[in-house]
Amino acid sequence: MSDQTDTTPRQPDSNGDRYHLLIEFAHKHLDFQIAELESVLDMHGISLGDDEECRIIALPNANKTKLKTRHGKTVQVHRVKDSGSGAVTSRRPFLILSLPRTSKWIPNNDETQTNNIASIILERCTLVRNVMELWGMGTSIEECAMAAKDWIQNYTLGKLTFSRVSSESWKLTVHTLGAKYTYEEQGVMRSHVSHLGFSGPVQMKDPTNEYVLIHEIELNETGSPLYPRHSPEGKIISENDARPPIACYFARTLCGTRQHKGRGKEQYSLKNRTYLGPTSMDAELSSIMTNLGHCKEGTIAFDPFVGTGSILLSCALRGAFCIGTDIDFRILKGRSKDENIESNFRQFNLPKPELIRSDNSIHHRHFRTTSPMYDAIICDPPYGIRAGARKSGSRLTNPKPVPEDQRHDHIAQTRPYPVSDVMADLLDVAARNLVLGGRLVYIIPSYADFDDECDLPRHECLRIVHICYQPLGSELGRRMVTMEKIGEYDVSKRETHYLVSTWVNGPESAEKCANIREKILENAKLKPGYESKLEIRKQKRKANKEAKRIAKRAAADNFTD
Amino acid sequence: MRLLTHNYLQSNVKGTEEGYPLGIVPETVEIDKSPVDRELLLNILPKLNYDAVLQAVEQLRPHCETLPNLPSTLPEDLDDELVNDLYFVLFDVHVKNGCLVCPSTQRKFPIRDGIPNMILHEDEI
Repeated sequence: MSDQTDTTPRQPDSNGDRYHLLIEFAHKHLDFQIAELESVLDMHGISLGDDEECRIIALPNANKTKLKTRHGKTVQVHRVKDSGSGAVTSRRPFLILSLPRTSKWIPNNDETQTNNIASIILERCTLVRNVMELWGMGTSIEECAMAAKDWIQNYTLGKLTFSRVSSESWKLTVHTLGAKYTYEEQGVMRSHVSHLGFSGPVQMKDPTNEYVLIHEIELNETGSPLYPRHSPEGKIISENDARPPIACYFARTLCGTRQHKGRGKEQYSLKNRTYLGPTSMDAELSSIMTNLGHCKEGTIAFDPFVGTGSILLSCALRGAFCIGTDIDFRILKGRSKDENIESNFRQFNLPKPELIRSDNSIHHRHFRTTSPMYDAIICDPPYGIRAGARKSGSRLTNPKPVPEDQRHDHIAQTRPYPVSDVMADLLDVAARNLVLGGRLVYIIPSYADFDDECDLPRHECLRIVHICYQPLGSELGRRMVTMEKIGEYDVSKRETHYLVSTWVNGPESAEKCANIREKILENAKLKPGYESKLEIRKQKRKANKEAKRIAKRAAADNFTD
Repeated sequence: MRLLTHNYLQSNVKGTEEGYPLGIVPETVEIDKSPVDRELLLNILPKLNYDAVLQAVEQLRPHCETLPNLPSTLPEDLDDELVNDLYFVLFDVHVKNGCLVCPSTQRKFPIRDGIPNMILHEDEI
């Protein structure tokens, strides 16, 4: 029933009486939202798709965009219908999952139920702000209130739910996505749903149930209203005020009230770590990576470019056992006993990770390759942006032998490690050392000229599951790529097949994501006025230097006096 | 370095015939008791080279009196005591300092602050 799903939420026959879950996303990393949600559901054996038990249904006023999912099935992503204003059809922060009435994943208030779809999503999805049980929706508040009333009066599931919750304490919140309405105006909105007839007491603080009346409007790319109701001076802009909402929803929050949804993310923020480096991955992105990589209790996660361990720390927070390697001993060792990777883990009471100094370009020579061990490989490979890559070996073809008496504390030579080889080796290590079904998640930066189809590295044993794009500027961006091991690794094909077929368009593709820093500088030089700006900066630096010199001399003079 | 990691490490300098399992020459060994994660142990157990575990335990025994005696082959059904013993051996014993020795070439790989240094020198690649 993929394309027949219309904006009417439910049909009164048994098939149409489905449970609808309204999900609200935070307005960031838009391209990651569905991938993260799908991965988290997948981890619990819930697959998402038009022909699956759990499917996405259309929001009111939706333009459907079909996206292919992991199993080659399609899901719809909703964008705002172009309202003729030429406005960007930005993605909406809401999504509705529909489950059959009999599904075991529906939250049913039964204490024996350990897991339901709402708690699964809330526990893991970094980008989900709120999960609600949808009672009704429509293109106006009136329509939405009618739909909600219809559901609780004429549908088995609605009747059951209402009889259970209507006598409990409650409050009603009006959510207008950043548009400001006075208390009186909100009161008018509330009055539309007042006839639903809750018999329980109203309780503003920690009620058992919080109902939310959502008035959805169009948002711009930063998540603010596209047609603000008020001017910056605080005056109502009447033409914007007259715009109807795109959709209205009436829903009951699940797993606690809206205010409880901060979920203590701040404590994991990079700012609170004792040991950091220039390329530490921010906590939110690495948390998304752990979801895409299916990290959970009892699994083993590996990061071949562990650095300060920021990605592994997120894996450990999900309960995975962590192993990390790096070629640089100084970063593994840290600055001191209380400023190293171990101290970051200790801070959150996590078991310490296994750290090994080894070189990912010859991973198979450091580790035995029989019986693959890793369930997930999660990393941010070195692209020479903030840290250039090195690998073992000398630049010379015939390096001088190390005298045996000096071997003990000899410092091994390293040579530059081109990005095309970094990626080919990474995919090969993943294909060889992941368990079947295990996942590789990595980050790759690039300019706009990068093409998902032919520029991303490939491996016969790995399949691309998700590609999420995060714009970092008009031209620059980075992708988070998720791959899954689908075939057994055959050592005899390593040199002849795997390593040579990494790049569909040849290793030049890798050049597109290497040395981005240099490219940013190059681009800056092409901009008009670069020369004059450069001159100003030069003079400023000179002046600063001079001022410092004078201050230093004055201090010295004072001292001698 | 836990014994789980030791179970996967090998030496492969140029010309090595069989660089596995590595011998352990411990200097300091620490015990850090952690709650038994049965799921993790059952995940890793079928992937282990059990003979290498036994060898490592014997090499550490002089430095660590609390090491349990493990059966010479793993039984089909694991009782709770054996699960606890295996978990302890693989996840709670940390070799902090010492070195790993290649059985074929006797090349030594130092372990410092619990981190084995497996990097090969330029003439060993």
